[in-house]
Amino acid sequence: MSDAPILVVDDDSSIRATISEILELEGYPVEVATNGAEALKSIERARPALVLLDMRMPVLDGWGFARELQQRGLHLPVLVMTAAQNARRWAEEIGADGYIAKPFELDELLVAVERRYGPPPR
Amino acid sequence: MSAITLLQFFAQALFVVIFVVVAFDAVRRPRRATIDIALLFAVVSLAVAEGWLTSALDVTPGRWLSAISGSLLMALPYLLLRLVDDFTRVPRWLARGALVAFVLAVVGLFALPSPLPGWIALVYVIDFVGLEVYGAVKFLQEAARSSGVTRRRMEAVAAGSFLLGLVILAAGFAIVAPRLDWLWSGVANLSALASGVAYFLGFAPPSILRRAWQEPELRAFLGRAANLPRLPTTRAIVREFEAGAAAALGAPAASIGRWDESDGMLYFFHQEGNATAIPEPDPLDQPRFVNTPDTLAIVPGVTLGGRSFAEQRAIFSEDAARDDPANAAVYASSGALAVLAAPITAGSRRLGVLTVYAPSAPIFAEDDLQLVQLLADQAAVILESRALIDEAARVQAREEAARLKDDFLSAAAHDLKTPLTTLVAQAQLLERRAQRQPAAPADAEGIQRIVRESQRLRDLVLELLDASRAEQGRLVGLVEPVDIVDLAREICGRHSSERHRCLVDADGPVVGEYDPLRISQMVENLVENAVKYSPAGGEVRVKVSREGETGRLSVSDQGIGIPPADLPFIFGRFHRGTNVDDRRFSGMGLGLFICRGIAEEHGGRIWVESPAGRGTTFHVEMPLAAGVLTT
Repeated sequence: MSDAPILVVDDDSSIRATISEILELEGYPVEVATNGAEALKSIERARPALVLLDMRMPVLDGWGFARELQQRGLHLPVLVMTAAQNARRWAEEIGADGYIAKPFELDELLVAVERRYGPPPR
Repeated sequence: MSAITLLQFFAQALFVVIFVVVAFDAVRRPRRATIDIALLFAVVSLAVAEGWLTSALDVTPGRWLSAISGSLLMALPYLLLRLVDDFTRVPRWLARGALVAFVLAVVGLFALPSPLPGWIALVYVIDFVGLEVYGAVKFLQEAARSSGVTRRRMEAVAAGSFLLGLVILAAGFAIVAPRLDWLWSGVANLSALASGVAYFLGFAPPSILRRAWQEPELRAFLGRAANLPRLPTTRAIVREFEAGAAAALGAPAASIGRWDESDGMLYFFHQEGNATAIPEPDPLDQPRFVNTPDTLAIVPGVTLGGRSFAEQRAIFSEDAARDDPANAAVYASSGALAVLAAPITAGSRRLGVLTVYAPSAPIFAEDDLQLVQLLADQAAVILESRALIDEAARVQAREEAARLKDDFLSAAAHDLKTPLTTLVAQAQLLERRAQRQPAAPADAEGIQRIVRESQRLRDLVLELLDASRAEQGRLVGLVEPVDIVDLAREICGRHSSERHRCLVDADGPVVGEYDPLRISQMVENLVENAVKYSPAGGEVRVKVSREGETGRLSVSDQGIGIPPADLPFIFGRFHRGTNVDDRRFSGMGLGLFICRGIAEEHGGRIWVESPAGRGTTFHVEMPLAAGVLTT
């Protein structure tokens, strides 16, 4: 497949860094954003193949980000990752392709990513 | 027959008719007031009958006959005084004096030569007119004091007394100026007619008139009644209702007893300004009365109100002390001679009792029982709606509390899972790296993240645990002398930076008996908050002082302040600021709840001032010694 990156959107810097490193170790290209607004900018520049999306974020949250995607007519696979109880409902609400609940096992994350992105390009 | 004779005949006939009506009433309900009224009209009717007889038989009234009709005339003011006494109070000496004057007048009429010498006749007129005027004034005073139907009745009676005085006055003028005889006798007859009507309406108003006089007050009260359940307190509702019910019945006071199912007592609010006297309790008996600063509680069945409640029927007593002698003192202290009581019941639910009382018996009539029952039913509706409104508010408050708690718990769960996410994933990542690249150097950044996030998790867990200790009042442990100034300097020093200066103002050490760990925690929390919410370059000031036996500490910042709507809640368990983006700052938002617990467990208090746009100041006040409330 292409070398399109995976976009990790989370306001918590530790989570952002940890997920990035896990994915990079497996050979996935990664981009990061700290909120929905940054993620939108990053999409135009980096054209990611998959978005890992936290829901509760300042400036522009997961719902706002998904709405904006829809309005721009962009169809991107989105994987919701949240610590909230109703992860599944939120994922359905924004028409995401699935969800993983925080805290997650490393393999849980990798399986979910591979199912949507495919194996790492390198 | 001239107009005046016709008028005279008409007036006389009216008096006789009224006499028949009131006599019938007195026979049916032989009470002091009804008998006095019947006697008054009997005397007038006798005089009238005597006049008719003498003119029908065409005899000139002889000496004895004149004396008899004179005696009847002189009985009028004395009977009026008795009626005054029935409705209000007449001094004992005056009542006795009037009786003596009446007896002397009769003796004089029979013993002295007829016609009476001028000065003696003058004494008779003065006695008559004086008592009539006294009665009229007393009734006017009573009218001013009362309301509704009673006011109308007292006004009518006062008018009757003035008019009767006028009759005698006109008769006097007729002797002084006989040339205007037609005028005086016209005035006298008209006044007599009017006074008869006024007395009748005042002393023995027909039911239909009583109703008509009650109606305006009743209508006004029922108009207000719809709003009563929305008054702020039950006490306010009861007060308004009592005033309305008393006014509708023309009584000075009414009182509602509310039934408390839990202890089986009826609770009456004390009348404004005076507590009810209650009988000495029999030590062997269960107390039948309980006085509290606010209420008088009675056992159902005790007093006429309690009896009405226990028997679930309306009760009318013209003389409460006579009908219920055991509680005479209670009635005396609340100024109750006559009592009307009706149970307040909604369907099968007993809610209480409405009692209306008056210091004189004839204010009430038997058919007022229906009106009292009607008012009691209205009270049932109002108390029931009040209960429903209260219940709805309680349910709403419970739901709101449950919602706040749910929100808090899901926010807390979210907050705990965030550092946990890094911990789990990062630890597994380290493990995988070590397996795949055993020779690679240690991942310093990854290890640092684990350390940082585990500390964050520790802080959150400790905060939750402290909040739960605060809930139980078990935050404060062992106390020892602590210098708050020293402690504040140390904490301030640690938080002072280029961005925010933290300064301590104090004149000298302030040493108190405190738990050093908890006091540090509190000051740290307040200073940390102040620093967090300060703009760049903003100063944080900590003031510590000693005021008598109290240590005071305040922490001020120049930050965004707290919205007034949030102020009442910021020390609450499940509250987070509405103008604070909680992602920027760590913590569960339980810090101030814990601070409050620490201050209060030291016997002190904490409060906040946040004038719009002028930053925020937290104040803490704690006794220096022995203020600790340890469990």
